[in-house]
Amino acid sequence: MDSLKEDLKKQIIEQLNLEDLTVADIADDALLFNDQGLGLDSIDALELIVLLEKYHGIQLTNPEEGKEAFKSIDTMAAYIRKRKEA
Amino acid sequence: MNKPALYLSAASSISHQPTFGNPGFSAALRPVEASSALISPDYKAYIEAGLLRRMSKLLRMSVACAKDCIEQAGIGQPDAIVVGTGLGCLQDTEKFLNTSLTVEGLLPPTSFIQSTHNTMAGQISLSLGNHGYNMTHTQNTLSFEYALLDAAMLLREGDRNVLVGAADEHIDILENIAVQLGFEINAPLTSATSFFVLSAEKQGSAKAALADVYTSGGTAYGQEDIDAFLDRNGLRAGDIDLALCAGAPVPGVTRNLDYLSLAGTYPTASAFALHYAVDLLGTSGEIKNVLICNGLRKSNLGLTLLKAIEA
Amino acid sequence: MGVCITGIGVVSAIGMSVDENLSALRDGRTGIGPLHYLRGTKASLAGEVKASNDELRAALGVGTEYVSRTSLLGLQAAREAWGANKRSGVIRTGLISATSVGGMDRSEVFYKDYLAQSNPDYRLLTTHDSGSTTERIAKELGITGYINTLSTACSSGVNAIMLGARLILQGVLDRVLVGGSDALSGFTIDGFRSLMIYDDQWCRPFDDSRAGLNLGEGAGFLLLEGEKSLELTGNKPICNVSGWANAADAYHQTASSPDGKGATLAIENAIRRAGIGSGQISYVNAHGTGTKNNDHSESVALQNVFGSHIPPFSSTKAFTGHTLAAAGSIEAVFSVLAIQHNLIFPNLNYHTPIAETGLVPATQLETGLEVNAVLSNSFGFGGNNSSLVLTKYE
Repeated sequence: MDSLKEDLKKQIIEQLNLEDLTVADIADDALLFNDQGLGLDSIDALELIVLLEKYHGIQLTNPEEGKEAFKSIDTMAAYIRKRKEA
Repeated sequence: MNKPALYLSAASSISHQPTFGNPGFSAALRPVEASSALISPDYKAYIEAGLLRRMSKLLRMSVACAKDCIEQAGIGQPDAIVVGTGLGCLQDTEKFLNTSLTVEGLLPPTSFIQSTHNTMAGQISLSLGNHGYNMTHTQNTLSFEYALLDAAMLLREGDRNVLVGAADEHIDILENIAVQLGFEINAPLTSATSFFVLSAEKQGSAKAALADVYTSGGTAYGQEDIDAFLDRNGLRAGDIDLALCAGAPVPGVTRNLDYLSLAGTYPTASAFALHYAVDLLGTSGEIKNVLICNGLRKSNLGLTLLKAIEA
Repeated sequence: MGVCITGIGVVSAIGMSVDENLSALRDGRTGIGPLHYLRGTKASLAGEVKASNDELRAALGVGTEYVSRTSLLGLQAAREAWGANKRSGVIRTGLISATSVGGMDRSEVFYKDYLAQSNPDYRLLTTHDSGSTTERIAKELGITGYINTLSTACSSGVNAIMLGARLILQGVLDRVLVGGSDALSGFTIDGFRSLMIYDDQWCRPFDDSRAGLNLGEGAGFLLLEGEKSLELTGNKPICNVSGWANAADAYHQTASSPDGKGATLAIENAIRRAGIGSGQISYVNAHGTGTKNNDHSESVALQNVFGSHIPPFSSTKAFTGHTLAAAGSIEAVFSVLAIQHNLIFPNLNYHTPIAETGLVPATQLETGLEVNAVLSNSFGFGGNNSSLVLTKYE
């Protein structure tokens, strides 16, 4: 089990008030902004930027940059790892 | 006034009383107690999960009442949505104020977005997919009366059904503020939303008609304002079967009832009184004319006249 | 005869009066700059009114210090619009103001002390509620009776004008002072920053490189009169309020729809209400905040309504900043000035058309055209879209 991904799921559930979901409901490759996935919107994207700073110390000033990074839990984890290595 | 009456085709309230989905509730109401809590329905039955997760208490209440009203009235879409709120979305306002003063880094935007006064009306339009006129009035204790006046004007301009309502929410700091500012409060501070469908034509089940609404602000008012209002509707105090009052009882009316004791205290509590009156007119055959006299604040007067619809 | 405008008043970052605002608009002089009066915010640029609260209070003769800046700005503009008019027992007179922040500028002072437990002054909260902003203006002007406040975010100012016109046409009131007012606050600056649409550079409405708005503050008021009031006051009409509409976009809490549905409805219905053809609009004062989303959606709406014959248009927000609930009424005053003086105001800071729509706003002051009808747009959160049509008085 990838603990970064598990942490991300917990943080997303809390930050976005996804009260009906548990960590087990979110697949690593589920599309976060697709209605078949989590169905998130542009306000959630801003909340995810706050989450990245709050929990991972990563600053993302251009919302456009988030589009690729926030596709799924997989891409978010990869983005965090890449930024931390840099 | 030679204006035709308007019909109350639906009414829905979420409050500290068993008002929601409970026609006939007016018969068994007891005064609201300080220890009482909001009586909430299962919001998932009214609001889709994607919208619900972000909504504050007040938004959930507003959208659920709005949907309930649309269903009761049997209309697909109202032509307009008009909301009155005295203090707006206090919970989100306080939350963002707190965040803005205490958090150093990036700020989460959701509570800011939902702090604006028109969030209720906006969320209702979004939930219904409604593209009509969408308005929010905020004038202290007269916010609901101004919304009602706007709705009545829209019907006279050609709209057929207008969704009109009131929403105000309690947050903990309010008691403290009331004490510090020396406000005289005789009933506990509460949260509530009440929504109505006001229609130009009588719909099947409508039992109450809105005959007239009057507001006056910024000046002391007296008995002559109430007399003039009744007079322009061809009535005298003795013709009123029940006066629902916040503030002094209406002289000359045999039955006066302090509606704040039932609703609790909040700026738009006169909307609770309106639902109470509509419910009473629907169940009691004896009451024909109800006057709501909103004197919650000394320099503001709101008068609303309701009549029973003859079967 | 319809509904006539007989008085106007405005205060904004570009001036304390109609004359000062007009002169800055003619000269292409922006009022946006570093904040001088409101301290401790994270905004590098904003459209601040160039007067402190104490200076405003002294100029307006307001004794109490428990008054919000929103009320002071509103009173400044309302007094100018009201002019030498007198109270009357015969003319039923009302006041409608619009605000989104109300007394937040005072409340945040209270709340800071409250959090720090350092003797918070609870009396600061007596100006918190938006309705009290209007009550204060009414009290200073001696207006009683119909006193109402609208709060529909950034479209509020237009909605106040629309409601005033409807009240006159329905015979509820004979004359009504309508407008909007909002003061800058840390709350709103932080709010728009949290949405990542607060540009640290100059805002660039309708430019491809636009990256957000600069907030501003101010107030605009207009005196509306119907036939009966005009007969009694003898006031000379400047313009007519001919068309108005409000429509919900019902697309998203904050974002405007990419097809501009709500905006298109508002513009079309306002022009229809005015009883003129879209070809008769001489100038469009656009909402044009400078955000990616608004300016794109509004451009699409303009194309939906006007096709390839879009009238000269510009956003004046690069002069004043986005003044939220005041914007619609400040821009209505600017629209009256456009008609009065046959002017089309320049859209400052514009260089390159938006790639998707390619629209080019007016970039120079235009003085050679006859301006008979102006469309003014104001769009807000919650998909609240309003449009207004003002026409030359004939």
